[in-house]
Amino acid sequence: MTTRSTMPGTARIGRAAPSSPWAVTFTRTLIYVILVAIVVVEAFPLVWMIVTSLKDPHEVFNSVLPGEIRWQNFPRVWYAMNFPVHLGNSLYVTGLTVSLVVVLATPAAYAFARYRFPGREIVFYAFLGAMMIPPQAILIPMFQFLKSLHLLDSLNGLAFSFVGGGTAFAVFLMRTFFLSLPRELGDSARTDGCNDFQVFWYIYLPLARPGIATVVIIQSLYTWNEFMFSNTFIITPGKKTVQSAVFQAIGQYSTDYTALCSGLMIALVPVVAIYLILQRQFIGGLTAGALKG
Amino acid sequence: MNVPSRLQPFIAPGLFIAPAAIALILTTAVPMVDAVLLSLQRWNAMTPAVWTGFDNYVRLAQDETFFRALWHTFYFTVCTVILQTILPLLIASLLNSGIRGSTVFRTLYFMPVIISLAISGLLWAMLFEPNFGAINSMLRAMGLGAFTPLWLAGTNSVMPSVIIVSAWQSLGFYLVIFFAALQGVPKDLYEAATLDGAGAWSRFMNVTVPTIRPVILIVVVLNTINGIKVFDQIWVMTAGGPNYASATLGTYLYSIAFGAMGASNSRLGYAAAIAIVILVLSIVVSLIQIRIGRRRDLDAQIEV
Repeated sequence: MTTRSTMPGTARIGRAAPSSPWAVTFTRTLIYVILVAIVVVEAFPLVWMIVTSLKDPHEVFNSVLPGEIRWQNFPRVWYAMNFPVHLGNSLYVTGLTVSLVVVLATPAAYAFARYRFPGREIVFYAFLGAMMIPPQAILIPMFQFLKSLHLLDSLNGLAFSFVGGGTAFAVFLMRTFFLSLPRELGDSARTDGCNDFQVFWYIYLPLARPGIATVVIIQSLYTWNEFMFSNTFIITPGKKTVQSAVFQAIGQYSTDYTALCSGLMIALVPVVAIYLILQRQFIGGLTAGALKG
Repeated sequence: MNVPSRLQPFIAPGLFIAPAAIALILTTAVPMVDAVLLSLQRWNAMTPAVWTGFDNYVRLAQDETFFRALWHTFYFTVCTVILQTILPLLIASLLNSGIRGSTVFRTLYFMPVIISLAISGLLWAMLFEPNFGAINSMLRAMGLGAFTPLWLAGTNSVMPSVIIVSAWQSLGFYLVIFFAALQGVPKDLYEAATLDGAGAWSRFMNVTVPTIRPVILIVVVLNTINGIKVFDQIWVMTAGGPNYASATLGTYLYSIAFGAMGASNSRLGYAAAIAIVILVLSIVVSLIQIRIGRRRDLDAQIEV
């Protein structure tokens, strides 16, 4: 990356003519101006949200900056919107979904990558097909299905409804990962007397950790942010996840932008904190997920 | 184990795959079949369902609101495909032009991507508020008081507003994909083009675009699929309103099935028929993707 700037003839957009130093400086500045302007556009809604969450409710529409920073908005909303409960609900659903998806998808992905058996392609394409089914298509039957199992309005039922799509996607991602691991490792373990399960458990599973990490990141973010199923399958206010809880809150706080912004901030903090810690894994995992999925 | 030898090759992979397969059958295949069957019935979840054959589809074909929703879905999809391919590609090219700090820019641009569609929808609904929302206030402060649209509240401005939110949120995502692809374009191609006297735009059109064509196609397909399915942000911001002016297939389905929660007139069979329309559209796009997406090219080109 750093060598690029010293290499002649790289993809410098702005070097139209064999350019003078002035022209280079000018186009470079222009590029920076454009890039910074886009940062401003992308950041503006978020900055506005932060600023508004710190205002006095009476000054929301009257001044650009808060006259006095009011941290007390956060504890007010924390309790008024019952955030401890909703954050706990989201955490529970996310944890359960991610665990189920990893446990179900890892061995399946391994088998698709490492075994040859008649019908493998067909079964794998069935998994692929499941990945492409839009959630709307199964929304209504899933609602009835959960109802008949007495899992409607239950966090376990909600996690259950996420497992299918999540598993199909994770199998697809993890299979690519297992394919990249050397086959010889398993062969030599097998000659040393390991059975099929031991080869998977002791040899390949430890090596698959980066792949599992990608699945955990993608699936956690997806489940945490999911809105349609959680807003439909959970009815009791106290069982709502964060996403549908903040959505419900607009009815109550429709013009209290300070409270709404503080609420959105609290809803965002977990995701943003993890993103800032694991940026590389987030960006890499999400884009790889999209490309390979 | 006493297993016939011809079943031998199935045992280990079968055991590895079975749990996932069962989960998939229960949570995807069964509901899927159920949705198809449901679309052939008239049912309100209270009284027993009645088989009506293709009656739901026939009525869809006469439903003006359905066609409006279909049109809005199409409109949203086409606009987001164009915007969310061209803008990220151009900006990724700027980032890839040898400037410093591209990592910082990427991290910042990616921020909105991790936010849920519901939360960004709620946030933008506040910004778009016509009377005292931040955007119209800024326009007034800049002396553009004459140009203060109703945004989400106007029947003509609601779809463009929704599309703006989508472009804002997804920019970083597609930009990172394009940036990774651009890094893989061989540098000597640019050198050769420069020696031939190609300017920046000509290098972009004749070197960059053809080289990363597979990635462009993938981004187009991803955008198309997301467009067909669009629901969360629109439901949160407008619920398909005002007066169905932003209804898409997703929101129309939802308002029929769950809009009047518990009401006995909710037409679940009819909503299921709309679900099948969404499904068929997604399948068509996915099949096109399989035809054009040569994954090996992609894997070779992209190391994110």
